[in-house]
Amino acid sequence: MKIKTIHSYLVHPEKSLDEKTTIKGTEIEHTGDMFKMLEGIFIKAPVECNCDIAFLPKEDGTQENEVRNLILDYIKTGDFNKGGLIANRLQAITTNRSGLGLFFLILGIEKRSKRIVLSRFPADTGILAEESSGVLSVEFVERIFMKSAKAYKSAYYEGTSIDADFWTGKAIDKQINNDMAISDYWIKEFLLSDFATTGERGTKRYATALKNAINTCNDFEIKDELTAVLKIAKNLNGKLISPASVSKRLNLSQPAETAIRNQLKPTLYTEQFKLVLSELNKIIAFKSVELDNGAYLSAQANEFDSVFQTSDEKGGKMSFFTTGKIINEKVRKTKA
Amino acid sequence: MPSLRSIYKKRFEVALEPVAKNIENDLKDILMNLNNIDRIVARTKSIDRFLVKADKSENGKKKYSDPINQIQDQIGGRIITFYIEDVELISKEVLKYYREIERKRLIPESESEFGYVGNHFILLINDELIPEGVPKSLVPKFFELQVKTLFQHAFSEASHDLAYKPSSQLTKEQKRRVAFTAAQAWGADMVLSDLSKEIFFKG
Repeated sequence: MKIKTIHSYLVHPEKSLDEKTTIKGTEIEHTGDMFKMLEGIFIKAPVECNCDIAFLPKEDGTQENEVRNLILDYIKTGDFNKGGLIANRLQAITTNRSGLGLFFLILGIEKRSKRIVLSRFPADTGILAEESSGVLSVEFVERIFMKSAKAYKSAYYEGTSIDADFWTGKAIDKQINNDMAISDYWIKEFLLSDFATTGERGTKRYATALKNAINTCNDFEIKDELTAVLKIAKNLNGKLISPASVSKRLNLSQPAETAIRNQLKPTLYTEQFKLVLSELNKIIAFKSVELDNGAYLSAQANEFDSVFQTSDEKGGKMSFFTTGKIINEKVRKTKA
Repeated sequence: MPSLRSIYKKRFEVALEPVAKNIENDLKDILMNLNNIDRIVARTKSIDRFLVKADKSENGKKKYSDPINQIQDQIGGRIITFYIEDVELISKEVLKYYREIERKRLIPESESEFGYVGNHFILLINDELIPEGVPKSLVPKFFELQVKTLFQHAFSEASHDLAYKPSSQLTKEQKRRVAFTAAQAWGADMVLSDLSKEIFFKG
């Protein structure tokens, strides 16, 4: 897709300030290294932005979103001043912690299709050394952007219908990894959006995939590895994860990773969501019963009563019956 | 250039039916542990109904310039419950799993109004609900979900044809009768709600 316009704006951290700085910006020429770098971001955005997001409705439930409206106005015209309104919004929610930033709007059009990429580069510091007439002068500079050209936040939207599309998009924060900060500053506050997949939906899907992977796996070692994932996943409550990121973090063996991957559509293996522990427990909960004779019975909670049949005996005692083929047998020092 | 009928027909046959089935099953699954649900269904808008809607006018202009993308109830889900309290409970549970872009809670604000149709949502269709092999380009981004009591459902179904068709300009007397029916449905919900509280929680 061909780039139509690129506008850039200097965005100050003015969240708590009453008096706002007038946003200054410029149009970027379609030549030179800077254009090449931004063109790269524009082209790679659909692959690089790995976090599916969706605009939220107004508080009263109306199908309208203030930021989406600003973005649509900009897409319709590619007008510099309309872009300034988006930059203004970013300035109004930017704290000193996020600091000064250089904000880019890259708009592309191809036939009926339109794509917009929004990127923010943080300011960095550096030393400028200049040599003239045999004399070296050095200067401390506080407004350096794109020092590595790899640390930026981005969001992209693509669609054909101004009225109906552009409700969902993708985002990335290349300044951080696996941190919820992206959801607070960039997605929630700036874009008035949230993850397209709710925490409950993502967790349910992941837990079901894990459960099915465990149940269908015939290799004991892999089964153990997958069960360990489940135990560790419980420590990730509230964290932004994807099945792929957990597999990577736990350095899963290839067969274990494949066992999980096979349970999901390819796009869903990398989709990010906030893990909700209660949902995980709902899908994969184990019920255990310990008897005074030393027996310890355990099965998935929703299957426990069908796996073990019971009968009442004298003295408040119970007998448990189950029939199955032994697929694994271990001697452990502890019950768990 | 293919006609709107042929575009929607392809979408209807290839994508809408299987996606609607998945949405219905998904809703049944996530609401499995909730009581007092009469039925959960997800249906596709028929080709004829879609074309009628696509042709609608508003203030002398075509309402939809791009109906295939703009009409958001190509798939419509409905959850019918016994008691009014459950409408909110169910809605809250559904929103844990579906991202909304629109939410309307419609209750009669006065005895002279005849709108009594429950909760209405426009929700994103998650990728997970699109079966393998169904092209994403044929699947709408959203579907409509209504959560209603039996009486809200009965009222809205019966009154829909009477009150909302442009061909039927209701007289004041007719509007009063529709409003009376809405009030009756609302009253029935209130009584059932009180009764359920008395019987289930005090008995």
